[in-house]
Amino acid sequence: MELQLGLALPPPPLIPIETFDLNSYGNYETREALGSNALSWPLLKLGPADNDINNIHHHSSSSSSSSSCSSGGGAGCKKRSFDEAPFFDEKRNVPKTLHLLLWTNQPNDEDDDPSNVLHENSSSAIFKNDGEGLVGWPPVKTWRKKVHHQIPNGGAENNRLPAVENGIGGRASKSTYVKVKMEGVPIARKIDLSVHHSFEGLTNTLMRMFGISDGNPKIFKLTYQDREGDWLLAEDVPWRTFICSLKCLKLIRSRG
Amino acid sequence: MQKEMAYSFPDEVLKHVFSFIQSDKDRNAVSLVCKSWYEIERWCRRKVFIGNCYAVSPRMVIRRFPEVRSIELKGKPHFADFNLVPDGWGGYVLQWIAEMAGAYPWLGEIRLKRMVVTDESLELIAKSFKNFKVLVLFSCEGFSTDGLAAIAASCKNLRELDLRESEVDDLSGHWLAQFPETCTSLVSLNISCLGSDEVSFSALERLVDRCPNLRSLQLNRAVTLDKIANILRRAPQLVDFGTGNYAAELQPDVFSNLAGAFSSCKELKSLSGFWDVVPAYLPALYSICPRLTSLNLSYATIQSPDLIKLVSHCPRLQRLLVLDYVEDSGLEELASSCKDLQELRVFPSDPFGVEPNVSLTEQGLVAVSLGCPKLQSVLYFCRRMSNAALVTIAQNCPNLTRFRLCIIEPKTPDYLTLDPLDAGFGAIVEHCKDLRRLSLSGLLTDHVFEYIGTYGKKLEMLSVAFAGDSDLGLHHVLSGCESLRKLEIRDCPFGDKALLANAAKLETMRSLWMSSCAVSFGACKLLGQKMPKLNVEVIDETEPPDSRPESYPVDKLYIYKSVAGPRFDMPPFVWSMDEAVKILH
Repeated sequence: MELQLGLALPPPPLIPIETFDLNSYGNYETREALGSNALSWPLLKLGPADNDINNIHHHSSSSSSSSSCSSGGGAGCKKRSFDEAPFFDEKRNVPKTLHLLLWTNQPNDEDDDPSNVLHENSSSAIFKNDGEGLVGWPPVKTWRKKVHHQIPNGGAENNRLPAVENGIGGRASKSTYVKVKMEGVPIARKIDLSVHHSFEGLTNTLMRMFGISDGNPKIFKLTYQDREGDWLLAEDVPWRTFICSLKCLKLIRSRG
Repeated sequence: MQKEMAYSFPDEVLKHVFSFIQSDKDRNAVSLVCKSWYEIERWCRRKVFIGNCYAVSPRMVIRRFPEVRSIELKGKPHFADFNLVPDGWGGYVLQWIAEMAGAYPWLGEIRLKRMVVTDESLELIAKSFKNFKVLVLFSCEGFSTDGLAAIAASCKNLRELDLRESEVDDLSGHWLAQFPETCTSLVSLNISCLGSDEVSFSALERLVDRCPNLRSLQLNRAVTLDKIANILRRAPQLVDFGTGNYAAELQPDVFSNLAGAFSSCKELKSLSGFWDVVPAYLPALYSICPRLTSLNLSYATIQSPDLIKLVSHCPRLQRLLVLDYVEDSGLEELASSCKDLQELRVFPSDPFGVEPNVSLTEQGLVAVSLGCPKLQSVLYFCRRMSNAALVTIAQNCPNLTRFRLCIIEPKTPDYLTLDPLDAGFGAIVEHCKDLRRLSLSGLLTDHVFEYIGTYGKKLEMLSVAFAGDSDLGLHHVLSGCESLRKLEIRDCPFGDKALLANAAKLETMRSLWMSSCAVSFGACKLLGQKMPKLNVEVIDETEPPDSRPESYPVDKLYIYKSVAGPRFDMPPFVWSMDEAVKILH
């Protein structure tokens, strides 16, 4: 038995906000009461197409489910549930989630074409450029992620790894994120250095992060503080040196 | 007649009776009995717990409870642990400290979780509270060793300093030396999160020497194995110890020194640390293993045979945290050796690898469920699962209160039948009637949420990712889970309908997090307008949500109940849907 939600069906393209009378909705209703409380709103029934989906997923008949999921295992099923979920068939702006499932943009693509920027930072972007695919998945705390870099040998050759195994010198070993401040902006941000391999890529990401237009990239200079506490210009040193000795970054306005 | 009864006890008597009531729930109930009980109770409440620092303002707390001695605050949403909450989101403690500095001169305990704590805050704590005893900074950030130095120097009767899992800027290693020679009061010190060169070991040794009540000590990774013996001999009364680095070339004298030091600790029940373990040094622990109730080996990259040997010496183990190097074979050994096991956490050694690197499957967890009848709390990362296994686990462990399963690849189906895992998780919620916390993973349809809504009556916290087919799923949870307090959802096809239909439910919960779902900006605005008791916040780092059509889904949404109104410290990428706040910054 499918649950019937007492909700107004939105006429395309927008949800009719006026017809949602939340004030008449006191404490949340039990399932049984909902059906009878359909007076305020027309019922939304799951249509035939949806029943098919439900049949595929609910019933234990292995033939139908295996046909839906056998190809590529998880990937095949992902596509199905998003493509056929009823609400995404409505005539309204199709959310970016649909397209992003097919998106194969490489995580380290540093092309700063505006449309790519929109995709990468799009509100529903599942894949972000943290070098590891999904943001925050699997749900392992940052400092636990680094364990697998260690040599999984228990033997005597298991050297005590330096605390800087990720190549970023002088930092607490648990994170590849460094703090970035911009002159004039009170709130510092953090950036994951492990996904960048050049000054150009890093600068592009920083420009995007702080919302600086690409029109005049020369007005800002990238500086960094090294392990000894000195502030240096990033472009004066090779990338490897920069990565190994930096502690934090700062964007300053260049004069002249 | 009833009126006379209410006033028949003098206030002092009531106060005395209330002093035996410690739990917040009970205290809140007491305060609702009548006006005079409310008044008496509020003047004698000493401990306040605030699960969301934005649910109430410092001023409101101070106004109602003028004599607080201990406060606990939580800041960022749980998903901040996985980098889903952008930096600068909030959770600043400074304002709280500043207001409490004036109002609570006798404040003795501050416990914070996921908050931004600056050196300025720490310095303010150090100089404002003369009787300061306990500072716990759990998963906090924003401070440096300078702030710690201020605490060490000023807090003459400090009992607890616990920095677990916090991010600390290392500026100088000498803050430990700031503890005055007169400080002998330490009971608990946890500096395991500090980076390499942040601790002066000689200062630490002297501190341990002069604190005879030290019960809990967690060292950081920089402390080498050869130093452990020195510390333990100075503190044989330790109950809870976290080693630093547990690696060194095997030398007989170092080994026997270490083994002797451990055996002198007759009270030691809990061990952690164990970075970079050399298995040859594990037998040094054998003398204390029979007493161990808690073992955290989640940083120890040792293989199953060594783990099996260690665990088989610990028959009293109640809590085990371990990497998936333990494998199914290790868990089978655990199941046969440790009948008192209550909590098991298995972490992934290679979370981002596509192929499994260890032989850890659902079988390990099934074995533990069979062998350990007292199992209550599970956190398990694996790469495959079946409905049959979950049903078995549910039937074996009806006392589970926390069940968090993470199948590493999103939307992985039952590996035997290729079905969704609805039935398996359904069995968990059906059999485990006291389940309070549940995290889902694998291929899941709306059906699993129907089970959860039907059976999960005691469920307080639910974490959902890459699951469900439609709003029906979310509706099942919001309408069915009576005890739900925290709901966090990412990458699910849940949109406006269920949320708007269950808007009132949100006022009974602490918070709701939804990211990469399908909730439209229009729906967020509607919620913000219609629900004044909720703060509805939209997070978007790329552009203001109103620069796009209203039907466009928002990136991240955080809704929480609050009596303090919209907050004032929102960064540019957080938009409040409160009508009174201008949407455009």
